[in-house]
Amino acid sequence: MAEYDLLPKLIGHLDRHLVFPLLEFAAGQLPEDADDAAVLAITKAKYELLKTTNMTDFVGNLKAELEGLDQPPAEFNDKRQKVISRLEQFEESTSKLVDLLGREDVVGNLRSDKVANLEFLKNEHGVTIEMVNALYDFGNFQYSCGNYAAAADLLYQFRVLSTDNDKVAAATWGKFASEILTTNWEGSVEELNKVKENIDTKLFNNPLAQLSQRTWLIHWALFPLFNDDRTRDTLLDLFFSPAYINTIQTSCPWILRYLTAAVITGRSRARNSGQYQKQLKDIIRIVKQEAYEYSDPVTDFVRALYIDFDFEEAQRQLSLAEEILRSDFFLFSTADVFVDAARHLISESYCKIHARIDIKDLSARLGLGEDEGEKWIVNLIRDTRVDAKIDYKEGTVVMNHPPSSVYQQVIERTKGGFFRTQVLSAAVAR
Amino acid sequence: MSRFFRSGDDSSSESSSEEEELYSEEEEEEEEQEEESEEEDDDDDEDESEEESSSDEEGGKKSGAARFLRGDDSESEESDDDAPKTLKSAKDKQFAELESIIDTIEKRQKINDWGAVSVEFDKLNRQAAKISERGRTPKLYIKALVELEDAMNETISKQKVTPKKMNATSARGLNAVKQKIKKLKQDYQSQVDAYREDPLDFLASDEEEEAPAPKPKKAKADVYADQVEEDQEGFATVGKGGKTLQFTPESIFKHLRAILESRGKKNTDRVEQIKIMEKLLEVAATPYQQIKVLLTLVSARFDLGSGGTASMPLEHWKAAEKEISTLFEVLESNREYIVIENAEEWDDDEKPPTLQPGEKYIKIPGSIVSYVERLDDELTRSLQSIDPHTSEYIERLTDEGSLYNVIFRGLLYYETLAKDTSLQTPQDSLNRIVMRRLEHVYFKPAQVVKILEENAWKPVPADVESTITPRGSISDATSLLNVLCNYLFVNSEGIIRARAMLCQIYFLALHDEYYKARDMMLMSHLQETIGSFDVQTQILYNRTLVQVGLCAFRKGLVYEAQNTLQEICGSGRQKELLAQGVMIQRYAQVSPEQERLEKQRQLPFHMHINLELLECVYLTCSMLLEIPLLAQTGSSPDIKKRVISKTYRRMLEYHERQIFTGPPENTRDHVMQASRALAAGEWKKATNFIHSIKIWDLMPNTEEIKTMLSKQIQEEGLRTYLFTYAPYYDTLAISTLSSMFELEDRKVSAIVSKMISHEELAAALDQVTSTVIFRKGVELSRLQSLALTLSDKAAQLIETNERTLEQRTQGTANAFDRRGGQNQRGGRGAGQRTGRGGTRTGGTGQRQAGGTQFTGGVLSGAVRT
Repeated sequence: MAEYDLLPKLIGHLDRHLVFPLLEFAAGQLPEDADDAAVLAITKAKYELLKTTNMTDFVGNLKAELEGLDQPPAEFNDKRQKVISRLEQFEESTSKLVDLLGREDVVGNLRSDKVANLEFLKNEHGVTIEMVNALYDFGNFQYSCGNYAAAADLLYQFRVLSTDNDKVAAATWGKFASEILTTNWEGSVEELNKVKENIDTKLFNNPLAQLSQRTWLIHWALFPLFNDDRTRDTLLDLFFSPAYINTIQTSCPWILRYLTAAVITGRSRARNSGQYQKQLKDIIRIVKQEAYEYSDPVTDFVRALYIDFDFEEAQRQLSLAEEILRSDFFLFSTADVFVDAARHLISESYCKIHARIDIKDLSARLGLGEDEGEKWIVNLIRDTRVDAKIDYKEGTVVMNHPPSSVYQQVIERTKGGFFRTQVLSAAVAR
Repeated sequence: MSRFFRSGDDSSSESSSEEEELYSEEEEEEEEQEEESEEEDDDDDEDESEEESSSDEEGGKKSGAARFLRGDDSESEESDDDAPKTLKSAKDKQFAELESIIDTIEKRQKINDWGAVSVEFDKLNRQAAKISERGRTPKLYIKALVELEDAMNETISKQKVTPKKMNATSARGLNAVKQKIKKLKQDYQSQVDAYREDPLDFLASDEEEEAPAPKPKKAKADVYADQVEEDQEGFATVGKGGKTLQFTPESIFKHLRAILESRGKKNTDRVEQIKIMEKLLEVAATPYQQIKVLLTLVSARFDLGSGGTASMPLEHWKAAEKEISTLFEVLESNREYIVIENAEEWDDDEKPPTLQPGEKYIKIPGSIVSYVERLDDELTRSLQSIDPHTSEYIERLTDEGSLYNVIFRGLLYYETLAKDTSLQTPQDSLNRIVMRRLEHVYFKPAQVVKILEENAWKPVPADVESTITPRGSISDATSLLNVLCNYLFVNSEGIIRARAMLCQIYFLALHDEYYKARDMMLMSHLQETIGSFDVQTQILYNRTLVQVGLCAFRKGLVYEAQNTLQEICGSGRQKELLAQGVMIQRYAQVSPEQERLEKQRQLPFHMHINLELLECVYLTCSMLLEIPLLAQTGSSPDIKKRVISKTYRRMLEYHERQIFTGPPENTRDHVMQASRALAAGEWKKATNFIHSIKIWDLMPNTEEIKTMLSKQIQEEGLRTYLFTYAPYYDTLAISTLSSMFELEDRKVSAIVSKMISHEELAAALDQVTSTVIFRKGVELSRLQSLALTLSDKAAQLIETNERTLEQRTQGTANAFDRRGGQNQRGGRGAGQRTGRGGTRTGGTGQRQAGGTQFTGGVLSGAVRT
């Protein structure tokens, strides 16, 4: 399974604070009887990861663990003192502004115009631009200390006031990370959209920066994508938008695993099956295109099922994919859903092609027992309203594929015509 | 006055009837003709700008005076007349005449009437010529010549001091005399030298001494050429008092200057100049002299090839190559001298430039990169003109190795220059030379490149290092290509950058890196802009496209290969598009100028892509795609006819129309017969036909390709069979199919499943009995299919309208957002790789292979311009 481990690839595109949960998960994945070396390796990785941050206590503990000491080495005490003193310093320098922003009467006077706001604060309350920038530094510091909620607040306040585009962009990224780390998914998607807008508008003449920032954005977006169902649709739409699909294809094809999994597991949730079908179609196309660059059991499953129509292979890949999903930080919770949805896909496509199916065989295809398989098929017939009957004596399912009526086809094709023409004429009239 | 004089003289001798009476004998007439032409020559030399017609006119008016003056002239001729009869007396007479003329000259000369001197001198020459015809050149004449020359030089030097002294006629006369003397001096050089050594001795020496006969008359142009040349040369030699050793290190610059000045002028004898310079090179002592001579010499050699379409002579090319190498050596061993484009010309011929305090280099103006480029171009030109099937071509091709070395040395040289930022070497030169190097590498297989590289490094001194391609670090061709291209990507722009990209793609495709090549091709976005590049680049683009297509074929990606090759091969103008031959124009609309340009663009044979192989690949791919499609549309004739390759269809139709088909002879026949067999479901026969095409042997891994092809034929055969015969079956066992097409059961069911799933086949599988059950009653009535077509058309119309509107409004009218997906992708997409995925498939959505193709040979541009 090691060859399919994406951790090394992901780390490069994540903030060190964001990598931490992944490492934590990797540690949790180790079998009970894992030797100390493996545990130590992960601890060491954690230490290396965090040693430049200001989370001195935690890093100190890690160091102690690494070296088998009871107490964190003394140097961390010094550091701790320093951090605390800096913290106080920052608090002091920003206290006035924070106070101001906490006051109802001040906030009430703020408008949407940043320049005017700053002017107002300067005139009325003597706020300087340095103080605003101090907010940014303090936010950065808090984030580095692992105090994400506070960091998010500070950065938010900074963003309201600052007119420095670069810093605002950085603050947005910072807030995005903070929201993810405080598991505030809705907030994080909000930030994500801001970042996305930023990339589209500010960097439009620098394709390379756009590409790398989009890559980052895609990686960060995995956190809300798999942890919050409500944001899933918007995020999937984002991933399927041309700019981001291109980014995935160009710089990080391994994201296809997540994208595929997200699409497949979205089966039961999708509000309308049309959208689901479309996403499925897209993902098939992309998997096919990228097959030479990236493949793992998850994409191979799609490939076997929809491109090669090799059901045996699909089944084999499905069981492999299940394993992979269970060992993946983002996907482990969706593994069951995935397998379930994948089975549905297999049987759907199988039934579409076949006129008569042996129940035993199908059950084996789906990786189920015979009785279980029968139940599955009954459910399938009921849920998807496939025109099929079970011949119990023969132990087969008989499908009835009515040929689609020509008239139905004509109606389908011309259905949207009127509406589209109307839209068109409206657009012309404008 | 002399001018009128002579022109009058001319016209009268031409036209007057009197003269004809006078000279009735043929001999005389010949003589006169000679005179005339000589006179004419002089005339031209004297004053070219004077119009012939005006002089004639004036001559006509002045005929009276002319006749009078002519008298004395004709008298002398009359005396000639007698000469043949009584040889002895005639000779004396002639000598007497000569003496008298010399006398007159001396007199005139004393009073500085150069106009008269000039006239007399002409007479003298004529006289002398007559005498020398009979044997030897009169000593008197030589003496007069030398004396006159001395006098002339004296006058010239005097004149330099006091420029106002001479009137116009005299000045013109003086000039004429000067010119004539120079010309004559060449003829009588040895005698003149002898006279100068010891005048008395010369005059006294034996009468029988063989004098060299005067040179036979040359064509007018030649005479002039000589004269001009003598002009310069003479100037240098006379100054040194007629020393036989002409070339000394000190005089090098003078010679060079003279040559440089004559450069580009009409009728310059370049070969002669080159010889002079070769001698100069031998005597050149200092590096500065060497460099200067080499620079001039090389450009003079290139001048040889500049006229018309003819390429530079072989020996000169080789010499130029050697000289450039020598130049590099000189420059490498004398680091303080640099040749650089933006240096200033050193005007002082007397002393060479010295190292100024505070300056690091002695800069010499010149452009190494253009020499290298020129050398390269000349080789290409000569390769173009040689028949590629001769051994001569191969011999010539071996020179490419040395050329590559020169390019490489040039690159090293520019790198050393670039290291010193104070020189401000233009990046452009470096780019150009890197590009040249790249262009000699990109189309070659890796092994060849390796040898080329090794040879290039050999002559380079060990202490020289290349920053772009460090010695030893570039072991294989792929990384070399990579390094060179990356260098150009970073440092250049526009055409060079595009060319570098194309070269790299070509190389990748040649080495079976299909996906890399394709991705680069797509990411380069060249297909959108290629139309605006120059023809050479467009040709390179076409070549690259073809190479990518061939690469896809070798990978077994038939669909991609066909798609890529479509534009080039489907046009039927492969030859033109790849610059591998000129098409015969049916309607001769091309001007000779265009034709010449076209010929110049042709690639040398060793760079050609085999057109027959190309055609074979294209047709085979088309067959594999078209035959199942034909079968599919054939069974339900109302499906919209989709044509993949028109060329292929046309050939197939033509082939089917034939009443009698013999055994296949050429590639095309093979493919066509294979197509028919495949259409009939006889895949084995088809495979045999395809395998018996000989040209596959040209592909590396022939066997693999054949296996790939038979596999493809099996699969497509199965599909064709199912399409063709489905209406006649109720059920078909998978096992029957698998035994028929020798495929695995699993593969067969996979293919059938795919067809069912894509709704190409109205059938279903029965898993229990493993058979295919064909559904009945799916055929549509005429009305039904027409209704379907109509609805399709309507949908298309709406689609087109929407797209047009979107284009017009540049996507600002967000009217179509609600429809989601499809159309948006067509219009927008600010992403990195819009060429990839999204945009390409935009709008259609149904296209199966989606997004991986790019099309477009640069048809219009490459052909028309």
